[in-house]
Amino acid sequence: MLWYLVKRIIWMAGTLWVVFTLTWFLMRAVPGGPFDAEKKIPEEIRRNIEARYKLDQPLHVQYLDNLAHVIRLDFGPSFKLLDYPVNRVIAEGFPVSASLGVFAMIFALTLGLTAGVASAIGRRTAYDYGFMALATVGVAVPNFVLASLAIVLFVFYLGWFPAAGWGTLRQIALPAICLGAPFAGYIARLTRTGMLEVLGQDYIRTAYAKGLRHRRVIVRHALRGAILPVVSYLGPAVAAILTGSIVIERIFALPGLGIHFIEAATQRDYTLAMGMVLVYTFLLFVMNTLVDLSYGLIDPRVKLK
Amino acid sequence: MHHPVRRLFPYFVVLAGIASLAWAVTFGTLPPADFSFNNGDEVKTVDPAKAEGSPEHRILESLYEGLLRQMPAASELDSDGLMPMTPQQGVAEFPPEISEDGKTYTFRIRPEARWSNGRPMTADDFVWSWRRTLHPETASQYAYQLYYLEGAQQYNEGVLEVGDRVEIESGERKFDLQPFPRGTMQYGVLQNIIKPPQPEGMDETDWKRTWIYQVDVKPELEGAVQWDAAGALGFFSKARAAQYDDDFDAGSLQVVRQVLPHFESEVGAQAKDDQTLVVTLKNPTPYFIHLAAFYPLYPVCRECIEEHGEEWSRPENLVTNGPYVLQMRRIRDRIRMIKNAYYWDADNVKLEVIDAMPVKSETTALNMYLKGQLDWIITVPNTIMPMLRERPDFRPAPALITYFYRLNVAKPPLDNVLVRRALNAAMNKQEIVERVTRAGQLPARGIVPPGIAGYTGAETGEFNIKEARRLLAEAGYPGGRGLPTIEILYNTSEGHRAIAEVIQQQWKQNLGINVELRNLEWGVYLDTVTNTQFQVARAGWIADYPDPNTFLDMWLTGGPQNNTNWSNAEYDNLIHQAAAEGDPERRMQILQDAERILMDELPIIPIYFYVTTNMVKPHVRGFSPNVQDNHPLHIMSIQKD
Amino acid sequence: MAHVETKPETQAARSDLPPADRYASLLEEARKLHGVSHMQDAWRRLRRNWAAMASLAFLVLMSVAAVLTPLVPLQSPILQDLENRQFLPPNASSRTLQLTSDGETKTLTQLLAEFRQEIERLEQDARTASPEERVKIQEEIDARYAVEHPYQKFWHQPDWLAWRLTDLRIILFGDWCLPSLCGADALGRDLLARLFWGGRVSLVVGVVATLVSLLIGVSYGATAGFLGGWVDDVMMRIVDVLYSVPFLFVVIFLITILTEETIKTEYLEPYGIDQIMIFYVVIGAIYWLTMARVVRGQVISLKNEQFVDAARVIGAGSFRIIFRHLIPNVMGIVIVYLTLTIPAVMLFESFLSFLGLGISPPDVSWGLLVNEGIQVITPIKIYWWLVLFPSLTLTLTLFALNFFGDGLRDALDPKMKNR
Repeated sequence: MLWYLVKRIIWMAGTLWVVFTLTWFLMRAVPGGPFDAEKKIPEEIRRNIEARYKLDQPLHVQYLDNLAHVIRLDFGPSFKLLDYPVNRVIAEGFPVSASLGVFAMIFALTLGLTAGVASAIGRRTAYDYGFMALATVGVAVPNFVLASLAIVLFVFYLGWFPAAGWGTLRQIALPAICLGAPFAGYIARLTRTGMLEVLGQDYIRTAYAKGLRHRRVIVRHALRGAILPVVSYLGPAVAAILTGSIVIERIFALPGLGIHFIEAATQRDYTLAMGMVLVYTFLLFVMNTLVDLSYGLIDPRVKLK
Repeated sequence: MHHPVRRLFPYFVVLAGIASLAWAVTFGTLPPADFSFNNGDEVKTVDPAKAEGSPEHRILESLYEGLLRQMPAASELDSDGLMPMTPQQGVAEFPPEISEDGKTYTFRIRPEARWSNGRPMTADDFVWSWRRTLHPETASQYAYQLYYLEGAQQYNEGVLEVGDRVEIESGERKFDLQPFPRGTMQYGVLQNIIKPPQPEGMDETDWKRTWIYQVDVKPELEGAVQWDAAGALGFFSKARAAQYDDDFDAGSLQVVRQVLPHFESEVGAQAKDDQTLVVTLKNPTPYFIHLAAFYPLYPVCRECIEEHGEEWSRPENLVTNGPYVLQMRRIRDRIRMIKNAYYWDADNVKLEVIDAMPVKSETTALNMYLKGQLDWIITVPNTIMPMLRERPDFRPAPALITYFYRLNVAKPPLDNVLVRRALNAAMNKQEIVERVTRAGQLPARGIVPPGIAGYTGAETGEFNIKEARRLLAEAGYPGGRGLPTIEILYNTSEGHRAIAEVIQQQWKQNLGINVELRNLEWGVYLDTVTNTQFQVARAGWIADYPDPNTFLDMWLTGGPQNNTNWSNAEYDNLIHQAAAEGDPERRMQILQDAERILMDELPIIPIYFYVTTNMVKPHVRGFSPNVQDNHPLHIMSIQKD
Repeated sequence: MAHVETKPETQAARSDLPPADRYASLLEEARKLHGVSHMQDAWRRLRRNWAAMASLAFLVLMSVAAVLTPLVPLQSPILQDLENRQFLPPNASSRTLQLTSDGETKTLTQLLAEFRQEIERLEQDARTASPEERVKIQEEIDARYAVEHPYQKFWHQPDWLAWRLTDLRIILFGDWCLPSLCGADALGRDLLARLFWGGRVSLVVGVVATLVSLLIGVSYGATAGFLGGWVDDVMMRIVDVLYSVPFLFVVIFLITILTEETIKTEYLEPYGIDQIMIFYVVIGAIYWLTMARVVRGQVISLKNEQFVDAARVIGAGSFRIIFRHLIPNVMGIVIVYLTLTIPAVMLFESFLSFLGLGISPPDVSWGLLVNEGIQVITPIKIYWWLVLFPSLTLTLTLFALNFFGDGLRDALDPKMKNR
């Protein structure tokens, strides 16, 4: 177990380094430097500024210098947000995105698992068809459409939530629901399939035969087996939530990382972009590792190598 | 060991949930603001030397105060529903003393004016701030707004002439990333510039760095340079070239960071004493009192910058002199400003706490406004304009802003003036303002918007399809045959896209031109326009001051905002002539002649004159529509009954 | 799994016969025996799943509609009418294809006739002209086709197929076209036509990007699976690393770089690469990872399957094993995965449109239309048709793809066999 973690950490370092290197060269390959957005400054002044940011050094020196800073977790000043170092941008945005993501995931898991189990138990009933149709709609509707409609419905017709912004629980609820809805749909479908498969197996019959109560069988035995595909979906789900949060953050004007992620790329804010890419890579890697770990935790048959 | 961990798993999930909840809710502990408005976007910086654009303007105007300040000049709106705005007293008294030739302005700094750390303001605050803005390494975008001052351009560009007084900087600086506070300074009179022959293969800039400045270095006594005392000869260079090794040994040639004109002697900004600032201009500039109220000329707090370095603009460090101070800034969330107790007019500042929200989406901002989360929004979606125009809280006002397309005259076929004229004649601007923007904008046939007293603009050809086709045929593209595809560049926004799509259609139907659209985010868009990597690019220009010059001097050859590769000697001449002209009527006439050339040559196609589309809650008092779209927050108040 | 149903009785029957006859009869029986291949089996099961079949029908219909769009009597998808048709609600008043220019309104057939006259006049000139002039006139005719042909005004640079189909449409329907059943948008363009033309782009983006991912994924996965050993290890580690790369960022970055003017004009346009193509490749290039993993897994498990051994025993070469036995078996899971990737790609396209990085006008895609739809959702006024129809079309298609994919997976699942 410990050895497994050590190995994963080494792999993570390797992955981050690869991503760093690729991004770094990709950004250097783009025509136009970070200071071209300014007015046409005289050549000499430009060199002064470039010297200040060490852009006048040979490529490998710049690369090593940047790498050294990044290893010390110092991403440098943002090129477009002049008052902010990249670290602060991340420090301010990360909690927002993280809580939004966790809320969305909690919502998706709660709703998805419940609906999935209910559908599986009541297979071929109106519940089942209803839930599954809803779940597929959740998967098939782009979440910006969902969010826009939800605003009109919940904010203006029903008046349950404020329109946008971040801070109070009521402000968080609607974006989290809109973000989680597609995942709820997906999880519901995965759970249903998993449950149907498990319910047909011998050990469930044994459990019933032992005289265990229906609910206990479902929750303690069947669900555990059925949840595996859901867990393995969590890795890709995190990636998808990161993407989805970009849309949601924009529509609800939330101060999360998603907007910086897009803006750093489209505005060519190199240092911020690098910070964002590495943070997202780190998150994805950690989530993938957690998913692998939880396989072992949930299913005793899986052994970690 | 597996089993207990497995059992803990659900608890772990619950814990993560609670932690996120706690995290999220700590955000909500912020007490509500008295007044919230949408600022449209995240501000790039709160440093007046580096700011550009309207979101920054709205914030800087509340945080800082210039020598003068644009304020409402009447107690009621005029017959057009507009409020006249004039420069009035700010840090300095109004009016300043202006010399007969219109070139020397003497500002009296008011003793009540203080920084938010309590220190009284002095004339030297302005001299120091302007020096910082003009310093080449600050690389200020708007430094050219100070070029009206004698010697300012030379300082900004580091141009030296023999006989000039110079300042020489050497040694280490306190902060890596900013030029102030500076290293060791030496002062003297430039005696000679020794230019070695330019070696093969060395570029101009590298070569210039090896020039040697022979300076008569003057001694300093108690911080004051003794210009009349006898000096010591010194040789200075920015980079040591190998060929000097024979002539200069290591000690006699000093390698330095910067050699610039001596600011106090060569640039027209002098602090006579703590209360008196004398500004000497190159030309009589009638609109200089407007510039004195414009943010590139705002003062910054010297001790704050010298103490905190790059971090001076953080809320906990920032010292300002306006009606508000920066209390908190959370990126993409809000900028919170609170009343500055040291502001000279603090008693009359009603709103204690103001939130500026950086909401980019017009629809989201509208939603927040309708739900009462915002009291003022600056734009609204075009699609619902007709419904909004019926509401009393919709406050449209014509503004000194022009929407136009830049044409890159270096790229064929746009290098042909006939093609440019054809494009203009094939554009149905009336349709755009009536059907797309729909807030009462006026189709534009000139670059200078109406509403500037004493000026009548020159006009370009009107919408005429037959004429457009004739022009195109004359240019050698009958029926549009042989004309390459033209690309319109715009910065990502629904409004710009709709207009571009309509123009795309008009050009295609009327001239047979295939038009492609390309959108870029603001930063990259600016980059692309500055490097003239476009054919046709959308643009908008807001008057920096209410004078036609602000729309016309940008088209000077090589001007930093020209970006069209267009150059016309006669035009340049007229603009310079107008700048030197003392008689206001004559001046306007010259500017009109210049605009006529511009509208004849058409390196730009004007499309319409803006209408600002503010929506303000009825309980807000002190908001008055005006052509500058300038709405001082410190005179607003909230009246709920 | 390719699998042959054998009946125990036949085995019993053959032992009492003499050897020669035994083989003859065995051969004969083998000829009579029709192996129910896995695919047929799956198809049989799929047919019983009405949701999947309905989805399949819908998808086939959609694809046919997308290909034959120019044949459908639609209004112009790009022609704006700001005067009369801005935000026109859905209605059933029929329309003709016409163009108003400089106050004069002409129908498409009139314009075509005029154009043909012009061309004929030029051709007439050409017949009497000198050879050099003839070349010049021919050039002019070509230029006129490219610029002034009436089709160019109604449609955005129609390709060869669209051009021919439009010819056919004019013959069939003349100037008549369908009423604005879905209303008109903010610039007065007919939404129904835009939906059809947008579907063309969206489906093609979905399919082509998925095929790109298929190509990369299958070859990568199959190579890794076949070679095994350290090569497999390294290749799969690379996939692991790539899994943690935030590809969205890479896509945005690539799209902004590749649409850069210098790069576009210097490196891409000479080779005929346009923005939509960049789209396919870039999107396809990020969706191959899972495909590679799935294919590798399948190949590894199949490599040691009995039927492969069996084939080897009969003397089949490895080439034959791979292409006759392995690939068809992998194809099942690949097809399932394809039907699930296409909707993901289409959603991704709409997401890029939301960010302003999608298809640029006057080209149109469903993502763009959906995004235009949400622009008009405000509490003050909702132009419902601009939201409803694009969202409905996109959702239904994704819905159908999902259902079909699910059905296909169930049908191909060996555990579901004979149920």
